[in-house]
Amino acid sequence: MFLNNTYNEFIKIAAKPRSYIGLIALSVLIAVIIFAMKADGSTYISFVTASFEQTLSFSGDIMNGNLIAFIILQMLIVHIPLLVALVTGDLISGEANMGTIRMLASKPISRAHIVLSKFLAGAIYTLLLTIWLGFLALYVSRWIFGTGDLMVLTSEGLIIHPESDIEWRYLYGFLTAYLSLLTVSTLSICLSAFAENSIGPIVTTMAIIILFTIIGTMDVTVFDTIKPYLFTTHMAAWRSYFEDPVPWEAINESIRILICHNVILISIALFQFTRKDITS
Amino acid sequence: MKHLILFVAVLFTGSVFFAQQSKVLSSFLSKLNSVKDYSVNARIVAAVPMIKIKEVNAVLYFKQKDKFKIDTKGIAVLPKQGFIELNQFLATPSKYMSIESVGKEVSGISTIMVTVIPNDESTDVILAKLWIDPKKNVMMSSQLTTKSSGMLTTTYQYSDQIKYGLPSSLVFEIDVKKFKMPKSVAANIHQTKKSADNKDAKGKITIYLTGYKVNKGLSDKVFK
Repeated sequence: MFLNNTYNEFIKIAAKPRSYIGLIALSVLIAVIIFAMKADGSTYISFVTASFEQTLSFSGDIMNGNLIAFIILQMLIVHIPLLVALVTGDLISGEANMGTIRMLASKPISRAHIVLSKFLAGAIYTLLLTIWLGFLALYVSRWIFGTGDLMVLTSEGLIIHPESDIEWRYLYGFLTAYLSLLTVSTLSICLSAFAENSIGPIVTTMAIIILFTIIGTMDVTVFDTIKPYLFTTHMAAWRSYFEDPVPWEAINESIRILICHNVILISIALFQFTRKDITS
Repeated sequence: MKHLILFVAVLFTGSVFFAQQSKVLSSFLSKLNSVKDYSVNARIVAAVPMIKIKEVNAVLYFKQKDKFKIDTKGIAVLPKQGFIELNQFLATPSKYMSIESVGKEVSGISTIMVTVIPNDESTDVILAKLWIDPKKNVMMSSQLTTKSSGMLTTTYQYSDQIKYGLPSSLVFEIDVKKFKMPKSVAANIHQTKKSADNKDAKGKITIYLTGYKVNKGLSDKVFK
């Protein structure tokens, strides 16, 4: 029953036109970035390598599909939460808004399973969005620009990863990016459990992300104690797989914090929905 | 008085003429000029502050007078100058004057130091110091100071291609100026401590050269 309900929830997501906004927006954004890089990518590269080029020269194909994928991920990972929240923020409150929540609650399935199936459907949608992002960023970029070594600029300097050492970094990077987006998905579904309309949870999710991001970027000591616990601080954890050596301990810490957020948010949503007085 | 002026003029001209002619450098250049073209496999090992890169394999191609190409499968970090710029500059003796003096010992070999000063101020080269093995007519070390890239010190080692004056390894020591990291692209959420002070430092790039193919008639198509 739980899986059937999850399937139904996913069908509902697939039936909504807004669910395709994310996929279309991603495709357009990536197409724009690829076009820009094809037209004038060397300027972007020189911006990165300018500090070194007084004494050094870089030989080989720097502007390749692996670098484009990295640039795309870096540019879009901040904006994709909006596309996720646009769909997942509507999953419970949308039912309340349309008046179908009573009918849903009267089905022979527990309220906890209803909420969990919505979380699972949201997680599948987020996974599809991440896979689509990965496919366009990595494989389409490689198809257009070719493959090669990856040059990454970090706060510690320039790191050049050999082509043979990149695939696993992207795999783990996308999995961690997925976990970040999943946190956004559970946050919006959790907020959705408290709301009676679609817009509220979507806007609130974005407001929380913006607020936490601003707190995270402010170099003020008063926020230092809370920064490590904000999920937005760990949303760029995927980038750490491209460090050398890879800061495994810090990545594991990010993963733990993101999982904790997911568990807490799902628990809050379960608590709220199972006790909710559904009157309309 | 006229005779004195004439004598001083002749003496001065003579000393300059003498200074422009470095026999050691001429012998070294004539040996180098016997190489019309070559291709060689290179293994590039870079230890440059602020740059992390693994060993890179490449193929180097050279053809007289100034054709040079590096074929790498991946990305390689190389000194901006140092492969052919020095030899190209030295190939035209009218552009500089050279002065011989006693050199230091390089890799256990006593050398003659040749100081090369360009005649034209507009050239990129400010000064070149060459430590040449006078017995084998090969360059053991060089220090090239240019306007654009600062100072580049190169140490050469030779093996089977010493007859052509072609090295088996080159070690470039470069002055690495303070690199500026664009914050927008270098943000790191996991960085809890501040980056080490990125002051001016020395970088080292070692190139191991094996499998020389010398004077085999390299096609111009290779350089396209």
